[in-house]
Amino acid sequence: MAIKIDVSNLPGPTPRVEAIKERFVKTTPEICVERAQLITESYKETEDLPMHLRRAKAFEKILNGMTVFIQDDELVVGNQCTKPRSAPVYPEFSCKWLEAELDRLEKRTGDVFLISEDKKTVLRELFPYWDKKTSNELATSLMTPDALEAQGAGVFTVGNYYFNGVGHISVDYAKVLTRGLNGIIADAKAEHKKTDLTNPDDLKKMHFLDAVIISNEAVIAFARRFAVEAERLAASEKNEQRKAELLEIARICRKVPGQPAESFWEAVQSFWFIQLVIQIESNGHSISPMRFDQYMYPYLQMDADITTERAQELLDLLYIKFSEINKVRDEGSTKAFGGYPMFQNLIVGGVDSEGEDATNELSFMCLHATANTKLYQPSISIRIHSNTPAALYTKAAEVSRVGLGMPAYYNDRFIIPALLSRGLTREDARDYGIIGCVEPQVAGKTEGWHDAAFFNMAKVLELALNDGVDALTGKQIGPQTGALTSFSAFEDVMKAYKAQMEHFVKLLIISDNACDIAHGQRTPLPFLSSLVDDCMIKGKSLQEGGAHYNFTGPQGVGVGNVGDSLTAIKKLVFEDKAITLGELQKGLATNFEGLEMEGLRQMLLNRAPKYGNDNEYADMIAHEGALIYCREVEKYMNPRGGKFQPGLYPVSANVPLGTVVGATADGRKSGTPLADGVSPVSGVDQSGPTASVRSVARLDHVIASNGTLLNMKFHPNALKDERGIQNLVGVTETFFNGGGTHIQYNVIGRDTLVDAQEHPDNYQGMVVRVAGYSAFFTSLDKAIQDDIIARTEQMF
Amino acid sequence: MSWSHEYLIYDPGAINRSELTGLISDFQRFSIHDGPGIRTLVFMKGCPLYCAWCANPETIIPRPEIMLIPHNCIGCGKCIEACPSKCLAQVDGIVSFIDRDKCLLPECGKCQRVCYANAVNISGRYLTVEEVMDVVLRDREFYDRTGGGVTISGGEPFAQPVFLMELVRTAKILKLHTAIETCGQVNWNIFNSVLEHLDYVLYDLKHMDSRRHLQGTGVDNRIILENAKRLGASGKPVRIRLPLIPDFNDSEENVRATAEFIAEFSNLEALDILPYHRMGEPKWGQLHQEYKLQGVVPHNKERVFELADIARKYGIEVTVGG
Repeated sequence: MAIKIDVSNLPGPTPRVEAIKERFVKTTPEICVERAQLITESYKETEDLPMHLRRAKAFEKILNGMTVFIQDDELVVGNQCTKPRSAPVYPEFSCKWLEAELDRLEKRTGDVFLISEDKKTVLRELFPYWDKKTSNELATSLMTPDALEAQGAGVFTVGNYYFNGVGHISVDYAKVLTRGLNGIIADAKAEHKKTDLTNPDDLKKMHFLDAVIISNEAVIAFARRFAVEAERLAASEKNEQRKAELLEIARICRKVPGQPAESFWEAVQSFWFIQLVIQIESNGHSISPMRFDQYMYPYLQMDADITTERAQELLDLLYIKFSEINKVRDEGSTKAFGGYPMFQNLIVGGVDSEGEDATNELSFMCLHATANTKLYQPSISIRIHSNTPAALYTKAAEVSRVGLGMPAYYNDRFIIPALLSRGLTREDARDYGIIGCVEPQVAGKTEGWHDAAFFNMAKVLELALNDGVDALTGKQIGPQTGALTSFSAFEDVMKAYKAQMEHFVKLLIISDNACDIAHGQRTPLPFLSSLVDDCMIKGKSLQEGGAHYNFTGPQGVGVGNVGDSLTAIKKLVFEDKAITLGELQKGLATNFEGLEMEGLRQMLLNRAPKYGNDNEYADMIAHEGALIYCREVEKYMNPRGGKFQPGLYPVSANVPLGTVVGATADGRKSGTPLADGVSPVSGVDQSGPTASVRSVARLDHVIASNGTLLNMKFHPNALKDERGIQNLVGVTETFFNGGGTHIQYNVIGRDTLVDAQEHPDNYQGMVVRVAGYSAFFTSLDKAIQDDIIARTEQMF
Repeated sequence: MSWSHEYLIYDPGAINRSELTGLISDFQRFSIHDGPGIRTLVFMKGCPLYCAWCANPETIIPRPEIMLIPHNCIGCGKCIEACPSKCLAQVDGIVSFIDRDKCLLPECGKCQRVCYANAVNISGRYLTVEEVMDVVLRDREFYDRTGGGVTISGGEPFAQPVFLMELVRTAKILKLHTAIETCGQVNWNIFNSVLEHLDYVLYDLKHMDSRRHLQGTGVDNRIILENAKRLGASGKPVRIRLPLIPDFNDSEENVRATAEFIAEFSNLEALDILPYHRMGEPKWGQLHQEYKLQGVVPHNKERVFELADIARKYGIEVTVGG
């Protein structure tokens, strides 16, 4: 008999949750060297083996050799490192940057990691082994000189997968819960029996399946190590209640994830082991649980003994576990991925395969756990459709009001058709979840490569207005599309923009595909691959095209700047004839220095309409500017046999990408941040949120099927009562009805943010929405903090 | 100021339009504190009262006027060159008035036309009912989803009674929820005929003592209280608003008198106590006028809540901040 859960009255955090969270918040991130040591030893031992087996053996060695521990009062166990919030090292992807930055890790301005001199020595000794062996170095050798030059100029960056694992995936968690890893192993063995080893493809498949079996057995053994540790602690535990808990932990860890789960606690623990080891096998982030409320619900229903309080507590504890996972990035990347983000996206609600509402009690509890723990992980999201229950909508709005920037709202009505247009079946499209920031896909079947690049649309426009010459370096890096002063009509400007776009998107494709091939050759992931269809049947890892659906999703950044710049040119130069192209050229070249040029800048800023103010003229030009990028990207194929699909979201790359763009025709000064996602340029959206929402909805969100992002910032005052909640729902619904796919709300006052910048010690635990994710505000680089503060606040 | 692009540049020709126009100082979309749901506020220019604390002083005078925002000025001097009557000059490199009385508005506006930096602004545009409705209707879907609509504010909407009447009548034909924010200083017959087209009234009571009311606002409260009483029996939902001004109307006695007076209303939704704030102060400077409440300190929160509690003793709903 299932428990009866009153979703309108869910329990707050227990003292155990409070205590464990407090301990977590006080922990400082450190670098952990265990993984690097173990994988280096393993690689040295397996140089004669095929790559799949080398990967599996290394994974096995890490899981057998790394420290395991259980913290006081924990009910959900499993650690990534020697300490919570520490980050392991993954030298097989890249390590030269880490070697160069070892002494900077403690000193940099954001995402600081502690590391002792001893540990630095350990790393310095093992790094030389990896010279020329990393996926990064292979990718470089596959890229063309002009592609590398474009990256150097900041036209785009493929840094994420160039230096790290890919991640950005959601596995078939339901399969693990229902069949256990033993079930996966049985499938691998059955597949093994079908192989004909005289067929060369099957010979490769055999090695892959062997690697799958080794990896899965290694995870089962890893879980048993926690059972042993729990029994050891139980033996000396004086408190009887805790002793019983430890013995229960031991029992569970001997059972899952090897065998099927049969209670909610077992399911939570089984889930966590999978979520954890995926992030030990590779450092690809955005390992997203996705529709957790769907695949976990049966275990809540079947659990006869559990109380609502215990179920909520287990969820809360799991959320703290999500937050313990960490990743060290190079200093440049921390500007684009600030705040130790891991992007583990958990989504609730939405429709089922029949198109009916899929909400259940767990949907509410998952939202509630975010309010209880107030941490930045998991990234919590909600799917909205025509029949989303009002109670769930209200619950989500109440969590928005907490001010964590979560949940993010997604629109079934437009995302499902967008996925259908990318070739998903109706059933799969209806089962979508969100990866990382805002990227939709179906779990357990997709290798989406969602964060393939950040593409600087504003830089492309700069090159179009500058005959292909980089304004910051004076180098000719793009095709010669004509001097600005040679254009006689607005169409000429658009033609140049298109031509530059074609050129640089090609270079982007080359760069992404080079990284893709390198991952397939050097860093296939057999464990991860075993949990995604159709890898085992195809006998190929995900990295080699084993998944059922394959995509590559590069993001266009600077929609607002491109739109506003083109609008200003069209209106002020060609229609009003208020300025000449020569004057514009001079203004851009001089960064609007001097009184006369400042006057020009003010005209560009204030005398042309701006995207984001519900002005069709400006909005449709922004639409066109974005569409030119999207149409170009979707022409191409990746090495895994899948299509490229564009997205329009920046993570926080709008800040670093802005540093390499000179002055723009929207009046933006050289080097300042670009607009965030599909949000209007900071400060120009003066007509309020309803106008912004109507403008943003005018973009084509369906073609940008890799995801779009709209950040709305609300003063807490705006959501203080029931009326405020109703208004938030009204804004979301209107945006979604008009064609928007994603919206999120930051509900923290400007004063609070400024004060937090000045007195970080008082705001250690304060979470804010950055772009597609949330982070501790105080851990962000100051430039990102400033950008968040500057985004127009909707004051009332 | 959030003028949509088509009304950005002040057009002196608009005063001679043959259609009925109203003088509008601004719109505010996504207003959520002036009536139910998400609303658009239409600010009408011109007010029979003259309150020293006014947070929108550009809405008092019933004519277009120049507002200078020195912070935006880049010192290009174009406005001074453009001004035919020599009422502007640079002081320390920044635009400033030397003789405001010479300003040729509403017939001119040349200075604003050349000020790309928005340092010279003109408050007030002559718009037709249709033009106002164009802006209002943009957010119709938001209203429909949240029970919102349009709120006519100001200034004093009743200072332009013909235009107001046409505006709310049109809004009702378009099935919009209509609200008004008013000081109540208007002939009851006019009030009553507009009231027919209103769904909601936000009504200010600035002081219950007529002499003090005259001192603070320039008019006594006789008509205002009479109209309030009639409104209170009209059946339309009413919110009474008390802008709480230090040393003017913030005595317990005045709060009690206000609460006692409105507790009789059959249709009272609530009393909103609106604590004094200084957000309007810069605008007085931009209009080249003295802000008489300089240095007046807003109440502390506790005091405002105490006064709210006192009002609640009369059995009425009281909010702070509206």
